[in-house]
Amino acid sequence: MRPENYQAINQPPSNEFELNFGPNHPGIEGNYAFRVRLNGDVVTAAKADAGYLHRGFEKLMEGRLWIQNIALVPRICVPDPVPMEVCYSLAIEELCGLEVPERAQWIRVMQLEMSRLAAHLFAFGGHAATTGMYTPSFWGVADRDLILDRFEELTGGRVYSIYNIPGGVRREVPEGFLGRMSNLLDYLESRLPDYDNLFFTNQVFIRRARDVGTMTQEQALKWGVTGPPLRATGLEFDVRRDDPYLVYDQIDFDIPTEPGGDALSRNLVRRSELQQSIRILRQVIVRLPALKGPVRCPIPNPLAWNVPAGESYARVESSKGELGYYVVSTGGDKPYRVHVRGPSSMHAVQVLEKLAIGARLEDVAQIMFSLDACPPEVDR
Amino acid sequence: MSKELNLWLDKLLSDIESVKVKRKSSRRIRIDVESEALPALLELLQGHASYVHLSAISCVDWIDEDEFELVYHLWSYETNSLVSAHTRIAREPGIYLSIYDLYEPAAFFERDIHEMFGVYFEGSPDMEKFILTEWDGPPPMRKEFDSEAFVNQTFEWENYRPQWLKDIEEEGGGITTRPEDVR
Amino acid sequence: MSADIPYKYKGSILNPLKNLGFFARKPVTEPLQPRDASANYRGFHVNDWEQCIGCSTCQKVCDNAAITMVRIPGLPEDPVMGVRNERPAIDYGRCCWCGLCVDICPTSSLSLSREYVHICREDELDSYFILPDPNGMHGEYFPKGWAKTEDADLVDLDLQPMHELDPVTRIDSFDEIVEGFTAQNAIVEASRCVQCGMCHDSCPANMHAPEYIRHIWEGNVEEAVRQIYRTNPFAHVCGRVCTRRCEAACSVGRRGDPVAIRWLKRYAMDAVSDERIREIAAEGKVDYISGKMVAVIGAGPAGLTAAYDLVMKGHEVTVFEALDKPGGMTRYGIPEYRMPYDRLDADVEVITSVGVNIRYHTRIGKDITMADLERDHDAVVIAIGLQQGRSTRIPGSDHPQVQSAVSLLRKVTLNEAFEIPRNAVVIGGGNVAMDIARSLARRQKAAYGKVHLTVAALEDFDHFLADADEIRESREEGIELLDSRGPKQCMIDAEGQLTGLVTLGVESIFDDDGRFAPRYDAMDEQLHGADMVIEAIGQMTDVSLFGDDLTERLEWNRGRLQADENGRTSESWLWSAGDMVNGPDVIHAVADGHRVAASIEEYLA
Repeated sequence: MRPENYQAINQPPSNEFELNFGPNHPGIEGNYAFRVRLNGDVVTAAKADAGYLHRGFEKLMEGRLWIQNIALVPRICVPDPVPMEVCYSLAIEELCGLEVPERAQWIRVMQLEMSRLAAHLFAFGGHAATTGMYTPSFWGVADRDLILDRFEELTGGRVYSIYNIPGGVRREVPEGFLGRMSNLLDYLESRLPDYDNLFFTNQVFIRRARDVGTMTQEQALKWGVTGPPLRATGLEFDVRRDDPYLVYDQIDFDIPTEPGGDALSRNLVRRSELQQSIRILRQVIVRLPALKGPVRCPIPNPLAWNVPAGESYARVESSKGELGYYVVSTGGDKPYRVHVRGPSSMHAVQVLEKLAIGARLEDVAQIMFSLDACPPEVDR
Repeated sequence: MSKELNLWLDKLLSDIESVKVKRKSSRRIRIDVESEALPALLELLQGHASYVHLSAISCVDWIDEDEFELVYHLWSYETNSLVSAHTRIAREPGIYLSIYDLYEPAAFFERDIHEMFGVYFEGSPDMEKFILTEWDGPPPMRKEFDSEAFVNQTFEWENYRPQWLKDIEEEGGGITTRPEDVR
Repeated sequence: MSADIPYKYKGSILNPLKNLGFFARKPVTEPLQPRDASANYRGFHVNDWEQCIGCSTCQKVCDNAAITMVRIPGLPEDPVMGVRNERPAIDYGRCCWCGLCVDICPTSSLSLSREYVHICREDELDSYFILPDPNGMHGEYFPKGWAKTEDADLVDLDLQPMHELDPVTRIDSFDEIVEGFTAQNAIVEASRCVQCGMCHDSCPANMHAPEYIRHIWEGNVEEAVRQIYRTNPFAHVCGRVCTRRCEAACSVGRRGDPVAIRWLKRYAMDAVSDERIREIAAEGKVDYISGKMVAVIGAGPAGLTAAYDLVMKGHEVTVFEALDKPGGMTRYGIPEYRMPYDRLDADVEVITSVGVNIRYHTRIGKDITMADLERDHDAVVIAIGLQQGRSTRIPGSDHPQVQSAVSLLRKVTLNEAFEIPRNAVVIGGGNVAMDIARSLARRQKAAYGKVHLTVAALEDFDHFLADADEIRESREEGIELLDSRGPKQCMIDAEGQLTGLVTLGVESIFDDDGRFAPRYDAMDEQLHGADMVIEAIGQMTDVSLFGDDLTERLEWNRGRLQADENGRTSESWLWSAGDMVNGPDVIHAVADGHRVAASIEEYLA
């Protein structure tokens, strides 16, 4: 916010000073500001300050045709754009009653898991960087780049794939893609011991991250935490298994949990999810060649497409937590209301404010990254 | 989700008056309730039916009917189903009760709806501006606010004059349809 | 379930040192040049100008308002065939490379290449606005990236099904063959339209087809009728028998089935009650009377359209029709199975309901003279059409059983009795030949139980003049079509009965200068047995109604009345319109009627 609009955190004056964290800061994930009030090194109060990435997507979506929004939707979450597209498409498919062909559903699962892998590699790289270990973050980004190469081959775009439309996906899987995907999974699995040695079993990191930003399961449920941070408190809940969508009920995968509830546990949950994603992807690669058929079901001319009136709430498990899209249609060719509920709405704002209290200044960034806050989701 | 829990939930809801329940699928229920009865319904769902997770509060601006629709999406970890509770409040004055004491995540959504739609939630811990701190216009998500008109008034479209366009205009051609004309 | 990581918590402070082994590994080297993009990459735009028709559908689907249409003189421009000399220009400051424009392009001329690097300074921002051409943004070759594939087409290329009577049923009656769209199919068919406006440009009357198609899609048929009546008061007729220039120009028709604009017009007109159509057609009529009187000769599409326009402007119009019923060729020339009479009557009733006065059974030149009309009216429009058939004038063509198609069609319409031939031959290969052949086929089936008809045309099948639908349907009804046959003579036997037609094989139809001069192969002779021969080789008009005096005063052009671009003849009070000026075609006649009415309006003002 501008200096003239600055307001101090509402606390009694004392020997405390306020520090403005962000919006352009390596310790902040994205463009986000976070104000902490410090007594020495310990945080006594915290307040989040968002709005730097507000692009007004929900209003923009109301002025565009249904199909034009597929180019807007991935931009709401930068590291993990695919769940946004899939969630939007699921909501419209529910409103229209479109039957997505089976092949398209498996391709969507493949994309979702690829995106989850990429996002987790990015996330724990970021977490490592906040503890001063930069090598894992370089490795994470480099390996993520290989996944982005696969995205480029499949969808034509590296980050914003704009590949899912209501009714299916836009193009067929290229020749040889599954073989290259399989090689990539082998490579990633071979890298995991390197990451483990450097990072996950590194005593330096374990001591830094243990008991930082601890929350109990009751607190997590009370604060509306979902996704890996919730699983890190021991509750086994995953939208893929408990509110299944696409073909996840036909896939074999486990839901890892950790009992600790601190930053280390959240990190370890992501580490296990990496392995689970690889496992899911291997099953998809085996299954996909046998499924023949179209990759999308026919939709009317996009310039003249009226979606029947109604409303629907689609939920998808993104790498950060539970993602929800509430879409209202009044039977026209443009949406009447699209409300995006990103998981970071909870994590990056209220949860972070509460967990930061009592933490040391150097751990605030660590807490934010372990919660995998995504400011574009908060601002929309 | 098991059938017995479904039946039990349906019976619980049908016992309450002034709510209209529609089951959309095995994991989705829609409830329409009067705005006065909503907090009591939410308390019932949280306490007795294990709907402890507030997924989102959405607001829809029905400008033609002069109402705001507030939708509370609740999820239960035990029954694995989602309940969407819909209620309507009058557009003017646009005041409603906060459910922060029931669900803490409500604070974020209520603040967001206050900023974007102008609905005031009494009892919500923080109604200060969060995202639109430098904005002093009307609540932008309201239907009467035309964001495209605002953009056209406040900002200028780039006026490109590349060489190829100048060459074509010399020959007698030129721009025929601008994109803003067909939107 | 707790994460089952075998190594967990076995952390040691020395673990990271294991990664020192990386120093021994070969480093990864990335080249400095931009690397090759994938086969599917969404890079910069490339547009094939030969295929692009300037329809601007890409501009409509772009979600960032990034596309501007630019007119480039020198490119081919042909409104009749649906080609514009406009091309899309893209603002890369707004484009997000989503590829929707590529997926929806009706001609698949637009595609994205694998190029993705562009560098410019702040003062070179103009370079962000590009005009994609086949050479790429910087003139370097890059292979194609994201291009249209069959399964990725956003345009619906297939026509909606519409029910038509099958051949076995339809030969037994003159019931209308086309049943028309259901409401459901009409809405889906209307949704295929991309609103490019090529149909509007190519229609002789410039009908507002994109608008009425949009209203049909919205479910608002009354508004569709209102849009139709802006340019065409003969919409029931055109919705059935128009020659469909619009569909030839349709962008969707470039690679798929064109939008069924004619059948959609038929659907909209049939969906609204006749009474309501009359109300809509009368909207916009001025509320005063000008006091001017106009006479129209001929109650066909041209004459009645001009009459409708003039009455809407407050003039008093009287239409003089020699026959008993209005419509001209649309009634007496087009068989009922294509144009039901009650729908034609509905169209004419709308026109009379706004105040046009039609006097039937009044022949100009006999009951009233042209001089009378000149004296009693401020302006006169002559639109008598082409009522007479041309004759081949081959030996024997003056036999009573050798008839012209036009006069025979009139007899069929009037239900006049004539002897149904057991065996007939039609000379000619246009739509009129098909009309008479199929009408006679029905009469034959009713009288004798079987069809025995041959059509002999000069053209070969690749160049047949009749519509492809007519050719297919007439074959289904049992009519034999022969191509490249020219008539030589009619055979008459000793008792004076017509026994058949002799035809010769055609070698060529036009000479080197393009003039009509058919050459036949005298060795290739065939005799077709027939007790009736019908000539359907062209039409002409009977201009005797002018009288000698007026005929002297007027200017003629090779037997046709000379008229300027507004239809005005050399006499300042006389205009001519319709088939007699432009040749047989309903929509041209309607367009003529409008043009003549506008010219008269200016003259009378």
